[in-house]
This record gives sequence, C-alpha cells and structure tokens, in this order.
Amino acid sequence: MAHRHTHGPHSIDRLAYQSGMRGWNPAFKTVLAVGTLVFCLAADRPAVSAAVILALAALQKGKGKLTLRDYFGLLLVSLAFLLLGGAAVACDISTVPAGDWQVRLPWFYVCASADSVRFAASLVLKALGAVSAMYLLALTTTACELVDVLRRAHLPPLLCELMYLIYRFVFVLLDMYGRMRQAAGARLGWRDFRTSCRAFGGTAGNLFVLALRRSRVYSDAMAARGYDGDLRFLEEEKPVRAAQIVGMLLFWAALIVLAVL
Amino acid sequence: MTKKQQKLVRLTACAALLCGVVPAAGAMHIMEGFLPPAMCILWGVIALPFLLAGYFSLKKAVARDRRAVTLIAMAGAFIFVISSLKIPSVTGSCSHMTGTGLGAILFGPSAVSILGVIVLLFQAILLAHGGLTTLGANTFSMAVAGPFAAFGIYRLCLRCKVNKKVSVFLVAALGDLVTYCVTSIQLAVAYPSETGGVSGSVLEFLGVFAPTQLPLAVLEGVLTVMIMMALEAYAQPELRAVGFEEAGA
Repeated sequence: MAHRHTHGPHSIDRLAYQSGMRGWNPAFKTVLAVGTLVFCLAADRPAVSAAVILALAALQKGKGKLTLRDYFGLLLVSLAFLLLGGAAVACDISTVPAGDWQVRLPWFYVCASADSVRFAASLVLKALGAVSAMYLLALTTTACELVDVLRRAHLPPLLCELMYLIYRFVFVLLDMYGRMRQAAGARLGWRDFRTSCRAFGGTAGNLFVLALRRSRVYSDAMAARGYDGDLRFLEEEKPVRAAQIVGMLLFWAALIVLAVL
Repeated sequence: MTKKQQKLVRLTACAALLCGVVPAAGAMHIMEGFLPPAMCILWGVIALPFLLAGYFSLKKAVARDRRAVTLIAMAGAFIFVISSLKIPSVTGSCSHMTGTGLGAILFGPSAVSILGVIVLLFQAILLAHGGLTTLGANTFSMAVAGPFAAFGIYRLCLRCKVNKKVSVFLVAALGDLVTYCVTSIQLAVAYPSETGGVSGSVLEFLGVFAPTQLPLAVLEGVLTVMIMMALEAYAQPELRAVGFEEAGA
C-alpha cells in the first residue's frame, strides 16, 4: 500500500500508459481534472469531497480499467503527511486546559475540540478528493501528452522542451542507477548502515558523472538529426466526444447542487 | 537579462511584496488539496519573480550555447532522481532526500528554482508527491527558499574558510531544515491555531513533523558530503562544466 511508491515513478507512468482512458482527449481530461479539483477546493464541503472521491474512483475502475486496490493504494501514498498534518490542525497547544479533550504533557496541554476535529476530518476528506482529481489526470494521461497540453496553452517553448527532455532523462538515470545499485549490492554495499551511506554517496556521485557524459551524447545525437531548438512529436488525433462533455457538465452540475444544499 | 526582462522580474517582485512578504526563509511536499485556494494563489505569486529570474537566466544560457539544453535538462533529471531515491535509513522506513542543498551548490540557486518547478510538477504526476494546486507553495519552499538559503550558507562558509566537508554538511542539513520550517510556516498561515494564532500553529506543525524531519536533515547532510567527496575525487571536469568552480570562487 504505502510502499507502492518505492517502485518509483515507474508505477504511475505504467498505469497511465495502460489506462483505458488513454484514448480520451488529453486537453479534455485536463479541463475535467482541473475543473473538478477547483470545485472540490472551492466548495470545501465534505459531501462534495466524498462525491468526488467516489465518482472518480468509479470512473477510474469503470473506464480506466484500474483495480480499486491499486487506486486506493495510490490515494494513500501521502498517508503520513495526511495524518500528521491533520493531527496538527485538529490539536492545539496551550498552557491552560482548553477544548473538549486534553492530554497533559510536562509543560503544556495538547487539546482538541469537537469542532477542530470535525474541521480536520473535512480537510483530510477534501485533500483526498483533490488527490483523486489529480489522479484523474496523472493515471490516465502520459507525461508527454501533458506537456503537449501545456505547449498548446502557450507555455514558453524552452520550458516545454526541457520538460520533454527531463521526463526522458529521469528514466534514463533511474535505469542507470538501478544497475549501479545492483552492482553495489553484489559487492555487499548495502550490508549495514555505514556501508550503505558510503555506497549511496558513491553511486549518486557516479550517476552525476554518467549523467553529464550522457547529456553530451544526447546533444550530439540531436544535433545530428537537425535539432534547431524545437522538439516536435507526432501526436495521435484524439477527438472529444459529445457524450464526454455532457457527462462532465452533468457531473459538475451535481457537484454544484451538492455544494449549495 | 534585457531591460524588459528585468522590468518584468521587478514588477512581479512588487506584486509578491504586495501579497505580503513572508520571512525569506521546505523537505516535505504539501499534498494536493491541503491548502485553501487563496493560499495556493498567494504562494504562486510569491514564487513567480524567482521563477522568472531563473527562466531568463536559463534563456540566456541556451542562447549562448544551444547544447546547454541537454545539460540543463540532465541537471533537472538528476535533481528529480536524487530526490526520489530511497536512502539508507536506520529504521527501515522509506525516506527521500530533498536534494535542495546539493542542487544549489552544483547548479546555482536560480537554475534550481526553474528546474525545481518542473521537477515538482513531475513529482506530483509521476510520484504523487505534492500536487498541482500546491505547486506554488511547494515551489517556494523547496525550489526557492531552500536552495537560496543553502547557497547563502555555502558562500558564508567559503568566506569564513570553514572546512569543506563541514560546510557541505551544513549546507545540505540546513537547506533541508529551512525547507521544513518554511513548509510548517506555510501550513500554519493557512491553518492558524485557535488559541496561539499563527505562531502557535507554526510550533504545532514543526512539532508533528520534527521526529521524521530532524534525522532526515542530518542524514541528508551526511549523504551530500559522501556525494561531494565522490564528485571531487572523480568528477573535476564535470563539476567545472556545470559552473561549480565559478559558484565556489
């Protein structure tokens, strides 16, 4: 569950490529995800947050062909942050007992009231709703398509180009690092804490050297293919269907009704 | 930077000032949806001047040498990978470095600020660390405040002729701590406590995250020293290529 992200960026990236909703228009998915995100944050109502979580989970399961185990496992990647942050919002520190519940510690009281706990719970629910909205984008759209959406939204070409390259290089470096990690392991590099620190420093330093060497190779290769500061890729045509737009508007209308009620 | 670009940076800096200056002083990503919309916009505006300054310096570097693009992109990917690697830890839990200190001394704080946004965006969509609406706040804490503070500490250590290993340790550990403190402040400003106000809330957030963040900062310091030792031993030409000597001089 929480260890899902130890697989690194591979898991979300793979799920995005496998998703059943990959054929949807990326700009449409961006509008849907960001719109829902904004609704969820602006409405700030537990009912809206819960509706967003459930509806998007159903969408990811039904249309995205994602197993619910994978989906909820990913939703809880930030569990530690959520619990700690929630605790800090729910509790209050004071020198005198206050609120409905208190715990006495040597110099001060940690107190919580029913209101603050309720507020923290709705905050946690809202954050989970917002994360599901973000996943609607992250788990169904490949990073290249996202950069393409940003390019059409007039993000400076230099930044788009950097994003394409960084996305590619991340996987190149992770691949290299994986091999170095295995090689260090074969030499008992992760035997104990002290050795691991030394091995980690060595592999990370080596990664830097290899990364720079690779960057020169890449720029030569790109220059040889006529690169003049503009990276363009062949895009698949993915038209938006009327039913999708109607579905989106109905979903948003339902959220507005829930928020007003 | 041209005159027009400088003007733009200055203008956005004024806008940031108007939005309320916060102490220019993150290791944790604030997750998606945790900040109210007003705070998301506020932190985005505050981070903007740094990003523009970084973007213009990047543009200049690329205009000077077209081949710099792959080098800069590789630097960005390196920061991403370093911050996503599982590091050795005593408890066996899963922890990550922030890489802010290392990035700042290797590539300079302004380059890290603009690379930082891209890295944070990819961390949000590839790793689910951080988020889209909290991108501004995370950028300010992890790509602006952390690296600029780290770089300041580095320069200070160089001027005071502190031992190299000690200064790298301080840079990485304090860079990490600054990030953590700024994140706590950001959370506290958004959610002030009922009795103690913002300052009380800052203490609460610092308190709950301290048990994980303090050991991590020390560990990050130690690991960064290891990395720098490896680099100084084997990678002198590469360090010069990214402008490390210039920054250190």
